[in-house]
Amino acid sequence: MPPSAASEPAGSRTAPGPAAPDLLVEALQVRDGGGRVLLAIDRLTLRAGQSLAVQGPSGAGKSTLLHVLSGLIRPATGRVVWGGTDIAALSEPARAAFRRNRLGLIFQDYNLFEELPALGNAALAAAFAPARDRAALRDRAAGWLDRLGLGAAGGRTVASFSGGERQRIAVARALAADPPVILADEPTASLDRAAADALGADLARLARDGGRTLVAVTHDPALAGLLQRRLAIADGRVVEDSDA
Amino acid sequence: MREIWAGLSPDLQDALIALALLAPGLAAGALVLRGLAPFGLVRAMLRRFAWVNLLFVLLIAVSVGLGVGLVAQERGLRQGSARAAEGFDLIVAAPGSEVTVMLAAVYLQPSDMALLTGAQYDEIATAEGVAFAAPIAFGDSVDGAPVVGTTPDFVTHLAGDLAEGSIFATEAEAVAGAFAPVGPGDSFTPAHGHGAAAEGEAHAGFSYTVTGRMAPTGSPWDRAVLVPAESVWSVHGLANGHAPGDDRIGPPYDPVYMPGTPAVLVRATELWGNYALKSRFTRSDMMAFFPGTVLAQLHGLMGEVRAAMSALATLTQVLVTLSVLIGLVILVRLIARSLAVLRALGAPVRFVFAVVWSYSAALILTGAAAGLVLGLGAARALAALITVRTDVLVTARLGWSELHLVAGFVSLTLILALLPAWAAIRRPVLADLRN
Repeated sequence: MPPSAASEPAGSRTAPGPAAPDLLVEALQVRDGGGRVLLAIDRLTLRAGQSLAVQGPSGAGKSTLLHVLSGLIRPATGRVVWGGTDIAALSEPARAAFRRNRLGLIFQDYNLFEELPALGNAALAAAFAPARDRAALRDRAAGWLDRLGLGAAGGRTVASFSGGERQRIAVARALAADPPVILADEPTASLDRAAADALGADLARLARDGGRTLVAVTHDPALAGLLQRRLAIADGRVVEDSDA
Repeated sequence: MREIWAGLSPDLQDALIALALLAPGLAAGALVLRGLAPFGLVRAMLRRFAWVNLLFVLLIAVSVGLGVGLVAQERGLRQGSARAAEGFDLIVAAPGSEVTVMLAAVYLQPSDMALLTGAQYDEIATAEGVAFAAPIAFGDSVDGAPVVGTTPDFVTHLAGDLAEGSIFATEAEAVAGAFAPVGPGDSFTPAHGHGAAAEGEAHAGFSYTVTGRMAPTGSPWDRAVLVPAESVWSVHGLANGHAPGDDRIGPPYDPVYMPGTPAVLVRATELWGNYALKSRFTRSDMMAFFPGTVLAQLHGLMGEVRAAMSALATLTQVLVTLSVLIGLVILVRLIARSLAVLRALGAPVRFVFAVVWSYSAALILTGAAAGLVLGLGAARALAALITVRTDVLVTARLGWSELHLVAGFVSLTLILALLPAWAAIRRPVLADLRN
């Protein structure tokens, strides 16, 4: 399989554009059930099309930040504004719609449906998309699988793929709806070095070439080195920002 | 409205009832699935936990099968016993238990019975409106099958034209029932008595030759061997119903030389005439009854047993429905992570709800369909066993009652499946993603 071969399939964004929203996080506090502060960020901004590596020790609050940015966690206080939409103020269905239409999520352990074929996973969003959008979603998912070197294997169930291949399927799934933002949680952590490097290169290229905003939580310095900006978090607070 | 309903055929009425029972479940499904296509995903989830799902389907299938089997079997038994009595219009016997006489005359169950005298028989046989009056004579057997003495007319009445051969014409000839242990061309010496107590040598020196075989009647008479009543009387050392030197077979019998009979099987020339004959021969020295009426009374008594069985079947269904509900809630935990992934990716809550409901519906519908097949199979096996044991042809087939039972069960469980679907969308997404 040719690594780092991904480029934009037909029908996808081809250059940085206004569709990728700026991010503004302001006066953010996330607390656990006991009231303990898990994450506190006074202000964080991200330009559209910028790629950001979030780093820090385990338990620092990196994944919590990603969950807040994706709307899976509603903060106790503060605003999380993507391109003018404060998702912290949205209802649960509206946040789900935001994720569906504007975000591509990539998980550390892929979270694929084992009994579905690669294409079925990549085009998962077609299952819950309006009928008029399903064919286009499937076409785009097939295009991404092709660009990621898995075009010929779209009919195989994911159980037969290696870890690196599975994560590529997950990347294709994240991109199938052509979102302006990609949020990745330790995308290379389950991969061997070669596969991690190849996937990291693909992610960086996809973000750059497609004008997508990419936020990747990672312990992997190689992946972090490929992204434009690095944010270090410790004890729930930003301790270093390469843009600052 | 009532008139329109009454004007519909019974099948159409039953079909409409089945649809009405299914309607709530189907309506729930239509509402849940409107505009969504979760089936590919549901198929994948079903494959993922194939063994657990199979177990679940089996649980539903066994419970549905139990209900279907009970209902089908009970109806088959009722219809079989009624069919066996169809050929017996009116029975006249000495006063006593109608049930005992019916069991002996219709179902050929050996029992001690008082006899009607030759004079009484003659009065019945010569009464106005009697087409034929067949005496029966019991007491012997061959290879466990009863040897029953009667008249050629009754053989023809009971089974129609013979399947093969000819009817008995002499005291040494016999006609085999459709499934009797002897057939045309065979000769046998009857044993005196029945079962283990039968005396094989009691009638040594006398033998019958089988000249024909009856077509199946679906009654215990299919296993019997029918012989002239005269020979049964003769072989037991009695007068044979005719004056010495008269070697005719069949009526009329001479009252002086007729030793008596436990029951007379009567057919009137007109259907309504049976009622007049019943009335005429219901008196202090004899009784007349319709076996169908006695059977209906027995079925009426058994109706309470049937109600108890139905209640048991319903209770089983309720318990299984609850088990299914609890099981589905547990199954939802198995697929919780997959559901959390869907929600994290932005799937609408309604879609996740539809996935869980469809998953449950697939198990319920598969289990119910398997249960129908299982129930029918079990009922047929049991029917075959009862037929072998009693010689009453019991046939079990799917009827509307079973379909209504299954339709009600499916509809109820499809509606109850909304609960685990509701529980699924209440689960915490992040916690399920991490598990």
